[in-house]
Amino acid sequence: MLAFDLPNCLTLALVVSLIGAYGLLTRRSLVMILLSIEVMLSGANISVVAFNYFVWSGRAYGHYLYMLSIGVAAVEAAIGLGMAIVYFRNHQDISRERAGRLHEGDA
Amino acid sequence: MSDGVVHNAVFTLCAVLILLGSAAVVWARNPVRATLLLVGAFLPTALLYVLMHAPFVGILQVLVYAGAIMVLFTFVVMMVNPGPKDGELKTPDAASGRTKLGIAALLAAGGAPLIALVRRAAAGLAPAGAPAADFGELSSLSRLVFEDPANNPLTVSFELISFLILVGIVAAINFARRSPGTSRGA
Repeated sequence: MLAFDLPNCLTLALVVSLIGAYGLLTRRSLVMILLSIEVMLSGANISVVAFNYFVWSGRAYGHYLYMLSIGVAAVEAAIGLGMAIVYFRNHQDISRERAGRLHEGDA
Repeated sequence: MSDGVVHNAVFTLCAVLILLGSAAVVWARNPVRATLLLVGAFLPTALLYVLMHAPFVGILQVLVYAGAIMVLFTFVVMMVNPGPKDGELKTPDAASGRTKLGIAALLAAGGAPLIALVRRAAAGLAPAGAPAADFGELSSLSRLVFEDPANNPLTVSFELISFLILVGIVAAINFARRSPGTSRGA
């Protein structure tokens, strides 16, 4: 059984972020890449709240930082998914290779 | 003492569920399934927040993250992925096996010393005393953000987030609108 302390919580956050980074680098679909970014953000959020609880529990600055983070995540998801929809409407394909050819003018 | 044992058990359970859920999200072939698995990974995260005396953050995690954002993802996946094979992507949706192995090895090689470093640094930090009675409750959080708004930088940043969301709405509407004169859209 794992002890409920700061090193274990930060390790959990770091491993979750690394899993998200793995998905970010290996998946091809833009939607799956956005989902992997959400996984990475989730790891960052865990670390912020864990620091607030274990190291400095006077005022809830970490909780406030979490609120800012999900605000940014919501906007990022809305804009990213909007871009994916527009891209799909134009090309019927949302793979990363296809999107990477935008600068060649034929994408 | 038994309180600590319960905390350890709940933390272990949450950690295992979060790790399994996140890994399943990254490895899932079907995007709809990946989205639902991410919701499944967010629920134990909310429980973990409650364990860390952050009940309001846990509620936000369920309502905003698992509720709103993931429903948005599900809708978009349904829209852009109308494949004939029950939602499977038309093109293979992952890098080749060797690339995957290389990236995993790279991340493991970079991550292992990072984890060791973080654990050593975290163990050296002075632990906090017992949290205040209202720590993590909505009343203390609102006092933190809105107390003395004229001199409180947190109030400004909170209002800036609403401005950011407004910009996001305008951008999303702009994406969704087809430009006139073209048949293929924006």
